[in-house]
Amino acid sequence: MTAGPHPVHVHGAAVSMSWADRTKSLTDLIFDGVTAALADAGIAMDRVESVVLAAHDLIDGRSLSSMVTSPAAGAYLRDEIRLADDGLAALSLGAARIAAGEAEYSVVAAWGRASEGDPVAASRAAMDPFLVQPLGLGEIDVSAFRCTRWLATYPDRAGDRAASRRQRTARAGRNPRAHGGAHPLPYPLTDEDGPAWADIVAAAIIGRPPAPVRIAGIGHGTDLPSVGERDLLGMPALRAAAEAASAEAAIRIDALDLYEIDGMTLADEALALEALGLCAPGAGFATYAEADRVNRSGGSAAGWCYPAMGLVRFCEAFRQAGGRAGTAQHPAPVRTALATGSAPIGGQTQTAVILDAR
Amino acid sequence: MREAAAIIGVGQTVYRKRHADKNTAELVREAVLAALGDAGLGLDAVGLVVGGVAPDALAGINHLDMTSVARPGIPYFRVNTGGATGSSAVLAALSWIAAGRCKVALVVAVERMGHAVTAQRIFNSIFDPIYEKDISLSTISMVALRATMLMQRYGYTMEQWAGLAARNASVSHLNDTIDEPRTFTAADVLRSRVLAWPIHSLEACPTSEGACAVVIAAASAVGERRAAWIHAARGLSDTYAMGDRISRPEGSLVDLVTLQRSGAQAYRDAGITDPLAAFDAVEIQAPFASSEAMAYMALGLCRPEDGPAFVDLAIEGRAGIAINPSGGPQAVNPVSATALVRIAECAQQVRGTAGRRQLDGIRRAIATGQGGATQFSTAVIVAQDKP
Repeated sequence: MTAGPHPVHVHGAAVSMSWADRTKSLTDLIFDGVTAALADAGIAMDRVESVVLAAHDLIDGRSLSSMVTSPAAGAYLRDEIRLADDGLAALSLGAARIAAGEAEYSVVAAWGRASEGDPVAASRAAMDPFLVQPLGLGEIDVSAFRCTRWLATYPDRAGDRAASRRQRTARAGRNPRAHGGAHPLPYPLTDEDGPAWADIVAAAIIGRPPAPVRIAGIGHGTDLPSVGERDLLGMPALRAAAEAASAEAAIRIDALDLYEIDGMTLADEALALEALGLCAPGAGFATYAEADRVNRSGGSAAGWCYPAMGLVRFCEAFRQAGGRAGTAQHPAPVRTALATGSAPIGGQTQTAVILDAR
Repeated sequence: MREAAAIIGVGQTVYRKRHADKNTAELVREAVLAALGDAGLGLDAVGLVVGGVAPDALAGINHLDMTSVARPGIPYFRVNTGGATGSSAVLAALSWIAAGRCKVALVVAVERMGHAVTAQRIFNSIFDPIYEKDISLSTISMVALRATMLMQRYGYTMEQWAGLAARNASVSHLNDTIDEPRTFTAADVLRSRVLAWPIHSLEACPTSEGACAVVIAAASAVGERRAAWIHAARGLSDTYAMGDRISRPEGSLVDLVTLQRSGAQAYRDAGITDPLAAFDAVEIQAPFASSEAMAYMALGLCRPEDGPAFVDLAIEGRAGIAINPSGGPQAVNPVSATALVRIAECAQQVRGTAGRRQLDGIRRAIATGQGGATQFSTAVIVAQDKP
């Protein structure tokens, strides 16, 4: 243990998406994903002292799933902690370990295999067993409630949704890492609003040594547990997380070059723009359609499975900041970017990270 | 130097087989209010809450923590490393504090395994779904394999496992967090049902529910409070496959390499060269007597070849160190919280706040955490003196 806090830099990242690949076990997918991130960073595993993971037992289909999966992520005789939380929360903890001087480099990895686990069923199991579970409600229904709330508040802007759907689908089509399939959605969501279900592994290599992209700010937010008591449009947890990251980075949220916003559906992503103050109330869908610096990756339309998604958004932002997002790359220089990560249910906890490549 | 940190508040519910009269939030509230009261702080002082909940399936509700532990307006995340969950959560909180992200963190772990129809059916699902699950491997049969290896390699006997179990049960009667402490002799243990040879039912931990909360503060926020200063906190993970660990250069399956190395790193951090002389007390997260004997060797309290003789001394209370003054996890073992309980108990002892189970002269203590197939280990050293 040495002195802290230290600056934290991003050295490499990788995102892999697939669907029901019968040639790969879950541990194969994890090993391949972490190996790709190490290769991207140009760092051998023997230089890594810390592993922080985000994975969920009910998605992985076994209790204490990290027993079997953590070694595939490099946790062999290494300091490792697994969060049952969103991947961006794991990134935040990994960054704290680096900042504290506890490790030179850390692997941060998160995954979810929607073709084997069932995120919808798992989220239903997180609802109140007496009052809500009998109704069959889950994570995706909270997203539908959010959209319904917005439609009730801004009925004259319902037409904005079509353009944002088209844009998001087009962006996902340009993302070389995109993959996934459809799932039935509750009203008022349509197929084009939904996530593309995928088997996903995201991994990042962060460390103390200087690199072109640094983590400039991190923030967390926590909302009320009861969905009925929440401000579904105001999203106070997301706003608090982003404001904390913004204050730490000393960069205004609306002054950033790029935004990778985590949400299960288009409604969550687009309405987050309103909550973050990036557009006027009611203009979320329109702004999503017009602003080409929002979810260049295509967001959840390019692949989705809890709990990997906050780290996927981070990896996409990192690639944009390094000018390495391929056909999804923004034409203008991306020097600063915000990535957010949302945890169940309906974003009760949120993490925000600001990257700085200046 | 990074800023030192200390445990300044501890709160625990009573642990019992099933809390039928309280929901999870009520259990958490009881432990948290006690910990904050002990620290003399309000929730407004807390800059991070870390929740510890191990397998969701034990409680039958996914993300049990989100409605019971997470607090609106305070950064929160949840740790799950099985039996080591509680201590891993402490390590996460310490990283957060050392990074300068907050001054005071609240670590809360809660267990509702009494709601599982059968805990061992859930624990069967932790094993490899292709090669192991169908042979009905459980945590008990996993421990039995190690116990037989210990007996064959070092000459331990079933009488020694029984003696340790009886000693822990006897000590647990002083622990007021245990609802119904058990009373039995070594002979009773040997007469009890064999769960998986050589493990008898009375040397296995009981199903246990309850919550534990600990308040950790950076040195600048400790003030004049009674503190258990953290001198070291280390953790290590290993491969899952027990077959790969039976005989490898790093050490055998029963050498418990992760605890050995976590302990060694913690000793280096704390400047300790002779653990038996350095520590006044140890709380070992060993839900079975044979696992406890394995930890003695890994912690360097005895040489491996002297292990059986050291167990005899431990049974007689002449080991030269207070072992599990709380009764340890063989008395109660709320899986998600048990490693946090070990740290909390050590903190109580060095702070002099352990009530009826308080021992004289406890200035420095070590708590272990153990999760998965004995593959996740932690070692946390606390002391009266500021490092």
